[in-house]
Amino acid sequence: MPKVTINDQVYEAAAGRTIIQVADEFGVEIPRYCYHPDIGIEASCRMCLVEVEKLPKLVPACATPTTEGMIVRTNTARVQQAVRYAMEFLLLHHPIDCPVCDQSGECWLQDYYMEHAGHSSRYPGTQKTRRVKAVDLGPLVKLDRERCILCTRCVRFTRNVTKTGEIGVFNRGHAAEIAIHGDKSFDNPYSGNVVDICPVGALTSVDFRFKVRSWFLKETDSVCGGCSTGCNLRVDHSARALGGGIPGVTATEGTIYRTVGRRNTAVNKSWLCDEGRLSFHTLERWPRLRSARTRGTSASLDQIHQRFESIRREHGQAAVAALGSATNTNEALFLMKKYFQGRVDFRLGNETQTYQKQQDDLLRRLDKHPNTQGALDLGLAGSLNGLQGIVEAAERKQVRAMWIAFHPQLVGEDAPEILESLERLVRALDYSIVSTTHEFPWAANATVVLPMAAWAEETGTYTNYSGRIQIANRAVAPAGESLPLHTMMSQLLGFSGTQVSPDPAAIFDWMARETAAYSRMTYASIGPLGLETIKETVQ
Amino acid sequence: MTPVRGGYAVDVPTVNVSERARSEQATVLSTFRAFGVTLRRLFTSLVKRDMPTISYPEQQRNYSERFRGTHILTVRDDGSLKCVACYMCATICPAECIYIEAGEHPNPEIEKFPRRFDIDMMRCIYCGFCVDACPEEAIVMSREHHQAAYNRDETLYSIEKLIQRPGINAKGPGYRPNRPFAEAKLFNPKEKDACAYPSVTDERHPAVLYESMIQKRQ
Repeated sequence: MPKVTINDQVYEAAAGRTIIQVADEFGVEIPRYCYHPDIGIEASCRMCLVEVEKLPKLVPACATPTTEGMIVRTNTARVQQAVRYAMEFLLLHHPIDCPVCDQSGECWLQDYYMEHAGHSSRYPGTQKTRRVKAVDLGPLVKLDRERCILCTRCVRFTRNVTKTGEIGVFNRGHAAEIAIHGDKSFDNPYSGNVVDICPVGALTSVDFRFKVRSWFLKETDSVCGGCSTGCNLRVDHSARALGGGIPGVTATEGTIYRTVGRRNTAVNKSWLCDEGRLSFHTLERWPRLRSARTRGTSASLDQIHQRFESIRREHGQAAVAALGSATNTNEALFLMKKYFQGRVDFRLGNETQTYQKQQDDLLRRLDKHPNTQGALDLGLAGSLNGLQGIVEAAERKQVRAMWIAFHPQLVGEDAPEILESLERLVRALDYSIVSTTHEFPWAANATVVLPMAAWAEETGTYTNYSGRIQIANRAVAPAGESLPLHTMMSQLLGFSGTQVSPDPAAIFDWMARETAAYSRMTYASIGPLGLETIKETVQ
Repeated sequence: MTPVRGGYAVDVPTVNVSERARSEQATVLSTFRAFGVTLRRLFTSLVKRDMPTISYPEQQRNYSERFRGTHILTVRDDGSLKCVACYMCATICPAECIYIEAGEHPNPEIEKFPRRFDIDMMRCIYCGFCVDACPEEAIVMSREHHQAAYNRDETLYSIEKLIQRPGINAKGPGYRPNRPFAEAKLFNPKEKDACAYPSVTDERHPAVLYESMIQKRQ
């Protein structure tokens, strides 16, 4: 544990770390472009130069390992001048096309210029080198060579993280530029990450390009609902109604514009797969269900509770059951289990066999449900034997009334045999309540179809493949009259005599008291990066 | 507390009435004096043709060249919009009356253009902040201010109406404070050869040389 002094403050750094890593750990700001914690070190931008005592020249903080008794200064006049010169050099041929640049507002060049440089250009704007703009690198990424500062973050990402190495720096000196090897397309399944890590506006996302300016966006920390890995992400959505009162364009419910990887070294480092990154578009694939649809009966939860009770009295407790899915939050599944007295299942396909299997060696997993482990922890893989078992029980009239809560898969398509089974199930039941997010043809025969909040429209926790519990926060308002499933369940429980707060935090705390995997946990203790659940020691 | 003279509990300052108003007492004489004013005005307007009123809307006054009237979207020489959909005006707009949808321009040098640019004139407060904020002098204000319409939809101005509408040029442009900067930004072709570092549009640039070399080889 070497002791390092940064700006007269002594820190105990872990062995083998570079100065910038120690500074980041203890919250000392060092400007940087090329350094990123997850892609390897290059030391090409010269922004992180610091003064180290007994060394004659300034050293790059990102590439200098700390040693015992090292005395580092980041705020001397020499360092400030070096950073200012580096900025002037990087901005020398910058086109300053911030008005049309998507990065504007979250651009490191803008931020560091205001913080460290503030110079006026010594180079007439009309004589700047022009380079090629808006080059398509692949289906998701566009390159602007004028804005590029050659920090090579994207190059190192493809070389060290995806190990595909499509992007490289070509030519030398003034003619150096970023390009693709050969005439290949940059279309690996993680290509969108280079847009996140590009510190300037050189790499922009084709999907997000020109949709909205970054300063209109509001950020909400969430978890990807695309597969059982549970990558941490940030949902960027509309903050206010753009366009004021203009009819037809005022966004009152909020729109999700993009998702960006959120750093969590225990799960996804800084990365997201492209499917997960674009998974919020799945919610636009079908028309949203905005209000309840019924076949003659009432859609009020009070009436639904009465019907369930009368069927229970007539045909016994076993005649009423529920089918959730591993896309529901832990809170919703827990309340469902409470209301239906344990007669709940969540297995639509083979998610329990696949949820720990990797699709590739980076992030993606075969099970496209975010909460399979959570449903297993709640003990929902019981005697109902999954969707197939329930369909058979319903056709034998052992189960007569059901609540079916269905979220579409955010990544990929739901298997057609699952939808077929659901349709058979709805037909076989006497009384079926389907709570779902979109208009699905298989739900047409249900007695009542209730609108349900989709991913990013409700707050709740997911437990990922490794048993890490993470919070997905609500970013936008539910569409139309939709309600989160845990709200509907808490109301049903209220009618049956158990008063439950619809607050997910309160539901989680109740669940933690009753579930072995979450014992000694509270909602407040989960935090933004999640918490490992207690592994069962029983063999 | 004894009330002061005039019945007020607090000391109210005396209103300072002008000397002239005090002398004009409401008498029969002052009534005829008022008729005298009317007759004098009748004489000046009928005989001298000196009329303070105009026959609006057939006649209209000329406003100051800094008048903040209904907006104009300016165009380039080829008739396309100067606007690059940077949303500066929509950001600064205190009334939130500007709605923009950006699109990808076929020319990568321009890159971005507004597919839709709507101003809700009923919401607009004509503060001129959009004109101040515009980096391209793409939005300026005119000297017209007619907002009469038969229904609300007509007051939602789209691109077509913001570029060209009847009578837009009759009075000349209004508020456009960035005009000097916009003129100074124009590219000066004389300076091009003086630069040691060639631009990519220049045949001396290494990338262009390399391209032409490959083309010759093929």
